[in-house]
Order: sequence, then structure tokens, then C-alpha cells
Amino acid sequence: MDRLVAVGCPDLTDEGARGEQLRTFAKVVEAVGELCPWVEPIRLGLAVFPVRGPSRLLGGDDAVVSAVANALAQVDPSVVIEIGVAPGLFAAQLAARRGLLISAEALPEFLAPWPISVLARPELASVLPRLGLRTLGQFAELHHREVFSRFGADAAMCLQVAKGEVGELSGLRDPSIGRRLRSLTASASPLPSQTTFLGGMGLADERLAAAARRLQAQLGPESVMVGYDHGGRSPLDQASLVPFGSRPVVTSHEAPWPGRLPSPSPMTVFTDARAAQVFDGEGDQVLIDDAGLLSAEPARCTVNGGSERRVINWAGPWPLLEAWWEAPRHRARLQLLLTPATAILLVFEAGSWWLEAVYD
Amino acid sequence: MFASVSHLQPRPTLDPKLLARVRPVAAASARVLPVAPALESLFGGRGLQRGSTVRITAPRGGGGSTLALTVLSAPSAAGHWCGVVGMADPGVAGMVGLGIDLRRVVFVPTPGTAWASVVGELIDGADMVLVRCEQQIAHPIARNLVAKARDRQVTLVIVTSTPEQWPLPSDVELSISGATWSGADGGYGHFVSRRATVSASGRRGAVREHVAALWLPSSDGDVAVATR
Repeated sequence: MDRLVAVGCPDLTDEGARGEQLRTFAKVVEAVGELCPWVEPIRLGLAVFPVRGPSRLLGGDDAVVSAVANALAQVDPSVVIEIGVAPGLFAAQLAARRGLLISAEALPEFLAPWPISVLARPELASVLPRLGLRTLGQFAELHHREVFSRFGADAAMCLQVAKGEVGELSGLRDPSIGRRLRSLTASASPLPSQTTFLGGMGLADERLAAAARRLQAQLGPESVMVGYDHGGRSPLDQASLVPFGSRPVVTSHEAPWPGRLPSPSPMTVFTDARAAQVFDGEGDQVLIDDAGLLSAEPARCTVNGGSERRVINWAGPWPLLEAWWEAPRHRARLQLLLTPATAILLVFEAGSWWLEAVYD
Repeated sequence: MFASVSHLQPRPTLDPKLLARVRPVAAASARVLPVAPALESLFGGRGLQRGSTVRITAPRGGGGSTLALTVLSAPSAAGHWCGVVGMADPGVAGMVGLGIDLRRVVFVPTPGTAWASVVGELIDGADMVLVRCEQQIAHPIARNLVAKARDRQVTLVIVTSTPEQWPLPSDVELSISGATWSGADGGYGHFVSRRATVSASGRRGAVREHVAALWLPSSDGDVAVATR
């Protein structure tokens, strides 16, 4: 099992609406690649490279870790970087979370205290603790044959990983990450291959691509964007902007999302948080209670600390329950018609109103 | 059919410097861009002249974005490239509802101080450029952009909240008034449609004075002529 240096960016594991995490991660991978050309992006926010060669060159594992840390501090000081060294990919990513150097001998000892959930197998994480097995160490004491016959081949592989016999666990790698990073670097080439109307590049397409490329060179890749409609509940989830040339634009598809906003859709959808306040006729704040009802009829509204505007009419609220991963988000939407003839969409979450969109 | 044949031929990639100076050959009929059916009467039934300037004036939140993006819908669907400058938070799903082909629209949401050069670059690259003015535009900058657009036969669509923001008269002037929303009723229903009056005027007889009642948008999410 090769000992690997894992470089983790805990803030870059989710791709934002505009893909800025992917671009920052690409910069991280590029900077690590200058130290070690064998760097391998695993998924968004995690890249690894074998420590052996650089360690010989730089004089030890510690020297490699500090060289990587120094190089990345210059890329973007605001990006949190975690570095760890351990045998195999699974242990290396855990070592990065703790910032540790793990030798081959120390591997089983290092793995033992981690909870079952780090295997990212929900069924094992729910069953094993009920059998009294809460950590990888306790799991590792089982026999391979028993686990195989009781839980199947995948669990048997997890067991080998928990024992420290195997370094790779399926599901750790995002197979698309290489392609996504390449599509970013491709947009830095003289002519980005934005898939267009006819699928090919006509003269008009080449002229546009050249102009977009000049603007991106001048103002950054995020300056020129294309729209991307991928379905979703809120206007913000439903469609987003991605940098020109970063990924093929697909046409809209009618995904039957429950809770999707009824047509027509707003023309201005804010990507930043804009606080709003809603008041009733007495000047008291209007909130949404546990039953999903307005505490009073809305009469006035302010947005982003601006001036108060009168509410002519309203629709909603509509509750939105999104069990996204483990933490459910309780949200509700409210449409307000303000003077003079401005229609807006507010969202209520955790006791506060936010302006989500304007029907401009 | 011809397009598919030409796609079989390997084509050399053109030098970017050369690209900036060449244009595809165009017949006289190609000097007009298509216009959405609901807006035909506002443009005198003659389509959208290439190289002309259209200004849309509406208070913020008053439908200016909907009307301006509708002007882009038919050209983008016909395969013309469109640039959109200064719309910081475009509602992409709403644009699809208007009939815009997203594959033909590039956005520069926040051009910042490079505003004028961004519009200039897009005039070099696209067939139509929509510009949302956030503040007063200086007279010489506006004049240069209009001249460049005319020279390159690119249609400029200017969106302003007050007429003073854009210091030049335009070939076609559209303004929105009397907007009313229907659908929301004391907590019930949802926003269904906005009815508004759009007035068109123009200089040098580009368009005749014309007033149209439009659904901006209709309950289907597109823009339609309001008949009742």
C-alpha cells in the first residue's frame, strides 16, 4: 500500500451555484501539481499524491507536508487546507482531517477509534452499532467470512479497509472530477469548446467564443457566464449560471419537482442574502408560526434596510420541507405585491424573511 | 442539408485576430433579426433592424427585464448569439419561460468599471447585446457604443429605469406603464400574470407611434398580446 499525501479543502466539498468552489479547488490541484506531477484529484475538495518520491527529493515526509502547506498558502490564504499522510486513500483522507502523519505500523491503531459512519455506508452505520460495534476497531475484530456471508461483498471490503489491509474503498472517488477540472482548464485554452446550437462551431460561434475568451482573460472566468437549467424547487436551485466554456449547456427539462414555484418564474433571482421585514397594520413583525400560518396580515415591507413599502396583496405562505441530507430545512414562501406594482418573492427561514426574487 | 455536408469537412480554426475583423456573409433579409410575435406590432411589423438601438424604460421591478429579455427570445431561438451585460441576478428559469434559448446567451452579470469595454467586446462577438444601465452613462461612451454597434450591424437593447440614464435618442423607444398583477388574493392563489401597456416611439420613422396591451408575462410564463 502506497503512503499517500492527502490534501483536503473542507470548505470546497460542495459545489456552489456558480461553481466557484470547483475553480478554487482547481487552483489548489494546480499548485500541488507543481510540487508533485502525480497529484490526483479524488473528489471536490480532496486530492492525493504518493509521498515516496517527493519525500526523497525534499528530505522527509515533514518537509513534503510543509512544502505543500507553503505553496497553498500562496494560492489563496482564505482557503482552509488540511494535509495528512497515511497508507492508502481511505486512511490518508482521515489523516488529513486530523493533520497527522501515519506510518504503516500505526495504521490499524489510527483507524480503530473512528466511527463506522466514516465508511459512508448508511446500512452498516445503522446495523453495526446495534450489534455493539461502534468503531472501525470493533468492526475490524469480526472475521472476513462472517461479514461476507451476513452483509455481502461490499461490507467485506469495508472490513478489509477497517482492518487496514486494503487502502481503497469504493465510493471515495468522484469519477467526474477529472473531467470537470479539465473542462475548466479547457476554457483557459485559446478557444473554449462551448457546445452550441448545432453542436459544432460555426464562424459566429468562434467569434463569440473569442470575445468571451478575451473578457475572461481580462476579468476572470466567472465574468462571462451561461445559463443552465437543471430542475429544482426554488428559482435559485432550478437554474444557475456557470462560467462560459466550463460545462456543456443542456436544454431545460421539465422535472416534476414537488413544491416548485408556479409559473411565471421571476426574472431577477438573488444569489446573495437580502434581509427583509414584514409588518402588519399595527407595525408588528409578521412571522410564520409552527402551523405554517402568517401571524398577521402583511401591510408593509422593507427590503435590505430600504424604505417601507405598502403591501397591496399577497399569496401564500407555502411551506417547503426539504429533508436535505440529515438536517431538514423548514422554509416557507410568500409572494407580496408592493406599491408601486412590484411583485416580489420572500422566503421565511429560522425566524427571518429573505428576499429571494423580483418579478421584474 | 448543406450544413451537414460542411460539417464533414475539417475546418481550420481561425486566428482570433482575424476573427475580430471578419463577418459571415449575409443576405439583405439577414439585416433584420426576428422578433417575438407579441412584440411585432411595436416594431412596426418589420422585425428588429440590425445595427439599431432599442431603449426600454421602466421603473425597477416594473417589467423592464421581462420586456427586454423577450426582445432576445426570437433571435436566440433562431440561433443568434446574444450578450447580456449588467443584469446581476438573472432569473434563468424565467428566461426559459420567455422562449429564450439559453445556449445562445452569454451573461456578464457584474461588469463593474469595465462596463464599456465589456459591451464593446460583446458587440464584436454577438448579434445582439442587452445592457442594463445601473447609473448615468457618459455621452461619449454611449455615442461610441452606438457607432460601433451600427458599424458591426449589432442590435443594442438598453434597459434603463429613468430616461436620463442613457443620454442618446434611440431608434426604437419602448416604455412600460399601468402594470397590474393578478393572481394573488389575500393569501390565496399565486402571481399569475401582469398586464401592462407598452408604448413604442422612434426617430426617423423607424417605428410609428404605437401602444400595445401585453401580458408581461402571461400565466404561461411567456409574453403575449392582451386582447381583453
